[in-house]
Amino acid sequence: MTKSAFKPKIVGFLCNWCSYAGADLAGVSRIQYPPTLRIVRVMCSGRVDPVFVLEAFRSGADGVLVAGCHPGDCHYLSGNYKAQRRILMLKKVLEQLGLEPERLRLEWVSASEGDRFATIVKDMTEEITKLGPSPLSVGGHFNVKK
Amino acid sequence: MTEFEPKIIGFLCNWCSYAGADLAGVSRIQYPANIRVIRVMCSGRVDPVIVLEMLANGADGVIVTGCHPGECHYMEGNLQAERKIKMLKKLISRTGLESERLRLEWVSASEGARFAEVIKDFTNQLRNLGASPLAGENPDKTILAGIIAAKAVAGASRLRTLVGRERTLIEEGNVYDEKVGQREFDEVMDGSIDAEYIRNRIHLLVKDKPMSVEGLAKHLGLDPKNVLRHIVVLRQRGLVSLDRIEGEDPLYIALEVS
Amino acid sequence: MRDKVGAILVVGGGIAGIQASLDLADSGFKVYLLDESPSIGGTMTQLDKTFPTNDCAMCILAPKLVTAGRHPNVELIMGAEIKRVEGEAGHFQVSLVKKPRYIDEEKCTGCGVCARECPVEAIDEFNERLGERSAIYVKYPQAVPLVYAIDRDKCIGCGTCQEVCKAGAVQYDEKEKEITVHVGSVILAPGFEEFDPKLKGEYGYGQHSNVVSSIEFERILSASGPYGGLVLRPSDGKVPRKIAFIQCVGSRDAKIGNNYCSSACCMYAIKEAVIAREHNPDLQCTIFFMDVRAYGKEFDAYYNRAEDEYGVRFIRSRVSHVEEVPESQNLLVNYVEDGNPKTEEVNLVVLSVGMRPPRHAEELAKTLNIRLNKYDFCSTQTFSPLETSRPGIYVCGAFSAPKDIPESVAQASGAAVKAASLISSERGTLTTVKEYPPERDVSDEAPRIGVFVCHCGINIGGFVNVPEVVEYVKALPNVVYAEHNLYTCSEDTQKGIRERIKEHNLNRVVVASCTPRTHEPLFRETVREAGLNIYLFEMANIRDQCSWVHMHEPEEATVKAKDLVRSIVAKVRLLKPLKKPMIGVTPTGLVIGGGLSGMTAASELAKQSFEVHLVEKEKELGGHLRHIHYVLGSKNPQEQLRSIIKEVTGNEKVHVHLNSEISDVEGYVGNFKTTLNCDGKKKEINHGIVIIATGAKEHRPTEYLYSIDKRVLTQQELEEKLTNGQFDAKTVAMIQCVGSRNGTRPYCSRICCSQAVKNALKIKESSPETDVYILYKDVRTYGFLEDYYREAASKGVLFIRYDDENKPKVTLEHGKLNVLVWEPVIKTWIPIEPDFLTLSTATISNPDNERIAKMLKVPLSKDGFFLEAHMKLRPVDFATDGVFLCGLAHWPKSIAESISQACAAAARAITILSKEALEVEGAIANVNEDFCSGCKICESICAYNAIEMKEVDGKLRAHILEALCKGCGVCGSSCPTKAICMLHFTDDQILAEVRAALEEEAKYD
Repeated sequence: MTKSAFKPKIVGFLCNWCSYAGADLAGVSRIQYPPTLRIVRVMCSGRVDPVFVLEAFRSGADGVLVAGCHPGDCHYLSGNYKAQRRILMLKKVLEQLGLEPERLRLEWVSASEGDRFATIVKDMTEEITKLGPSPLSVGGHFNVKK
Repeated sequence: MTEFEPKIIGFLCNWCSYAGADLAGVSRIQYPANIRVIRVMCSGRVDPVIVLEMLANGADGVIVTGCHPGECHYMEGNLQAERKIKMLKKLISRTGLESERLRLEWVSASEGARFAEVIKDFTNQLRNLGASPLAGENPDKTILAGIIAAKAVAGASRLRTLVGRERTLIEEGNVYDEKVGQREFDEVMDGSIDAEYIRNRIHLLVKDKPMSVEGLAKHLGLDPKNVLRHIVVLRQRGLVSLDRIEGEDPLYIALEVS
Repeated sequence: MRDKVGAILVVGGGIAGIQASLDLADSGFKVYLLDESPSIGGTMTQLDKTFPTNDCAMCILAPKLVTAGRHPNVELIMGAEIKRVEGEAGHFQVSLVKKPRYIDEEKCTGCGVCARECPVEAIDEFNERLGERSAIYVKYPQAVPLVYAIDRDKCIGCGTCQEVCKAGAVQYDEKEKEITVHVGSVILAPGFEEFDPKLKGEYGYGQHSNVVSSIEFERILSASGPYGGLVLRPSDGKVPRKIAFIQCVGSRDAKIGNNYCSSACCMYAIKEAVIAREHNPDLQCTIFFMDVRAYGKEFDAYYNRAEDEYGVRFIRSRVSHVEEVPESQNLLVNYVEDGNPKTEEVNLVVLSVGMRPPRHAEELAKTLNIRLNKYDFCSTQTFSPLETSRPGIYVCGAFSAPKDIPESVAQASGAAVKAASLISSERGTLTTVKEYPPERDVSDEAPRIGVFVCHCGINIGGFVNVPEVVEYVKALPNVVYAEHNLYTCSEDTQKGIRERIKEHNLNRVVVASCTPRTHEPLFRETVREAGLNIYLFEMANIRDQCSWVHMHEPEEATVKAKDLVRSIVAKVRLLKPLKKPMIGVTPTGLVIGGGLSGMTAASELAKQSFEVHLVEKEKELGGHLRHIHYVLGSKNPQEQLRSIIKEVTGNEKVHVHLNSEISDVEGYVGNFKTTLNCDGKKKEINHGIVIIATGAKEHRPTEYLYSIDKRVLTQQELEEKLTNGQFDAKTVAMIQCVGSRNGTRPYCSRICCSQAVKNALKIKESSPETDVYILYKDVRTYGFLEDYYREAASKGVLFIRYDDENKPKVTLEHGKLNVLVWEPVIKTWIPIEPDFLTLSTATISNPDNERIAKMLKVPLSKDGFFLEAHMKLRPVDFATDGVFLCGLAHWPKSIAESISQACAAAARAITILSKEALEVEGAIANVNEDFCSGCKICESICAYNAIEMKEVDGKLRAHILEALCKGCGVCGSSCPTKAICMLHFTDDQILAEVRAALEEEAKYD
């Protein structure tokens, strides 16, 4: 596999109420973004246990995106603040594990920000493509025969 | 200097006009040698995209001939041709190319003389017009860009749908069993031609480099307000996106469509 | 007498109509929700963000739209108008005319292919004419119902949509239909119309491209608006550097006959300025205003932040006219400040347009035989703000007066309680309870998964190789059946799914199609009808999040679709059936506070036959209203007070406890147990809900010689004097904002401006020669109160402005009161020697609130008022279920507003009290007590107070109050010992989903 053919695998944990809806709106508006993201729906970004993130990396994810409602918008009042603190902590853990903290991102995406969601996926894909495959990734990319 | 001799492409329907041309030959009726005839089964077969392709490649004129109304071998293919040519002329006139370079004529199998007359007349008309700005080594870039945009317009479903249904809507009635007035239809048609033509021009321009509304408006000689409206649609269609903001100007770029 | 009908017609599908419908439908009534447009949602769908929380409007609205759209007791009647009303309160017969939509609402899947193929373009009204849509359209992408409509004015009838619609939903031969509905009462919520700024020619709207209306600017700001969230000017798409907002366009304007204030514009303009600044930090926003009317909860704080943090400039001036600079298309805003004409050049002008009554107000009033006021808004009375002039017909939202969203929502719930009260004997007679077959026990079975992959016409199938996905899925472990459908959501496929479940003995089902946000309820219903537990179903979103966003990469989109289905299948393998526990409800209410709000709430509960305990600290009922002797626009408040006291004490369902306070509260929604301290005696009561109506207090000032000189009074004291005939004065001065809008109490007390105007008018009424000076910062006589401000000014009351730098000075000179006030135009201190000085003092929160808040575990705002669950859409709820608030306990407010809110709190309470048992969500947290260490972390982070610590075998253990848990899962991911399991989103399930998403697709290659 050449480096240029590397297509990152990103797992996205999206909160049901804002970010998942934002991702849906990107679809409804047909805003195109790279097919690198696999979305896991959770009710609240605060539901994302650090273990989920670490397990995603262990299973070979090149990046993990956690997306929740904007501060103040949380459907569950304050779950997103908890997510925020947790991600900060996790970034430090990743560094210690020898993983670039940029591989983990927390973003706020509202239900009307389809465009923003697509941009985030694009950006993150580019950034991780530059970083290259995760050292934990066992060797793969999404196999597409061209 | 020798007199300019236009190159003409003629699309002739098999059943009437081609036969008419043959008759001209059988009757040894002379006409200028400028025309290159392409036989099609029906004048309605002539796809607007092909006509534009001919013009883009430097043809000085394109003539489409078919059976007289009511005589079409395929019932009403010629009437469809008529609608297509009408739309094409409108489209072409927006590019800066003379719409007279496209002509539609009815020639029956028995009208050998008329065929020769038509060709003579068209050739003379084109001689007077002069060479197509798209002919030769250095085609006019602006007009060429216009014709390429026009080709995209003619190839896309919106105008093809409108042209394809024009006759039925006006003459037979629409899905609500009402006949659409020609004027009402033309309004929709002209609006669509205008809008789609400009959108395609914009799309082509921002394929090369990111451009601002102001830049596009200057380039196209349009009111920036209108350009912005088209950018809105192009963004909605996912054909154009924001590249960056430079000073006060957002720059837009065509999205790669593989 | 004819029988009453247990159904209500709600006219208008905006946020007010939706709220009223939901409250009624949740209280056992059938609701017909009518709107003249093809979708519900109203004006709020067009807004970008909402003040003062800057919530994304669509984020908070969309769940309500979906709930209303799918509610079994709500029937949406779209594109319809009222033609005739016969009958009377309790049993109306209403004839409706439904315009043809030309689309079968049952068949349309909302896929949108028709709109993409439609060759005819039309101006997009939803985007305020800043963009284009096709002749077949939905109003907005998240529309409910998500059914397309043909714009017959634009459609040329070419037939394309019918040809491309694979669902066969287009029906051109649809005709106008007349429908008759039988209802017991009617609620009017038709909303408002924006003022047409063209009528103010001097501002150049319609002539200059860069003069836009505020609603257009909302669309410009919106991320899903025409400019994709870029703030641009329409003339040339440039980013503006300077924006001017002009206030009161079409409001407070006698010239055009709209004398009233539109109430919401100051705040929305500030919000728009703030949001615009967030888009572009270099932007300079200037608001040209007469008074900043930031009178609502947390509004002044927002206003101050706009000025201090966002650098929004506020210029107090009426703009005379706007000119365009031809070359730049910039605009010159001409105004007068402090007597000097000035000009400011800006790139964009936003006109804060006011609210007008709806277009058809007059026609509607005629059809319904209801009265309008002089501005053509619906006429209501101070003590009956939700009643129209015709019994059985109620009103809420902006139709009765311009108002913002939370006020509209409160009124909507309030109108719901009124409408239900009339027909409460018919509760449950017209609602449907669906019968389901018994649930199959699948606990001992190995997973047998059925997967249904949707083509969605060409929406998925056009980009993802659906048959290939199906073949791939068939090979996955535990998948015993897979098929593809043209539309999985269509009626016949639903039937097919039920049959396949039986044939193949499926015990888990996956649908790979669109988004669970809109379609999960439908499919859950389907599997339930086939005898499966609803939690044995999941969706893979291969349209909105795959085919539509990877349209140019069909191969990769197909790979991704396989990945998505595979990972959902991995989760589904681990799904467990869950029960929705039922929790009994004690059908009794507790209302704390016996003032106007508390009494109103109690009375409304009792009218619908619920027992209610009304607890009052003092020895008599009436609260603050006891001190109000006259009211703007209403007669004899004391008589009204007596009548409501009689209503409460005369109703055997109401148990009044005077000289009483609550001393302990236990339990949760449906099952509270509260201990009362009644005159030293303990009483225990069981109840299902609590309504807090503890009121507020008049602040006792320490400044301006108050309590030092007897001639310095509060407004309330002046009112007593004026009532008792002890008043005699040649000159009266009033100082506004005493104790409000200052460092310690930065908020506006909302009612003092109108209180001052009220007393000034009273003085002028009895002695026209008396000079009255009102020294103010902003005159905040919002809505129709503006009329009284105008009246006072015309009767010679002098309004003199002061600001914080030059506050009035009050001294005693030779035994006389001397007030000095700064006159900014002539720049000098003017002396006034009043016989009385009246201070408009702040309304402050009840000091008891803190104690009550702790007992009920509900929050207070920093000013000590109760803090509702959501400032916009849940104005009388708390995050804690079963606890509600109303009246001045929430924020200072007028009599009419208190009554509306009290009715609203009662309506919200009845959605609980009217149920024998509450069905609780099954996907909630669950504690494994063996693992729980009793650390209390979960208890402290749960925003809903759904976790309490209980002693189990002598040790503290977390205990989930199932009735309160909302299923966010934050406790689970915070638990140090992993003792909390978040059902349906368990760690195992999510991890399986993640791992499967990252597996190589080896098998298929």
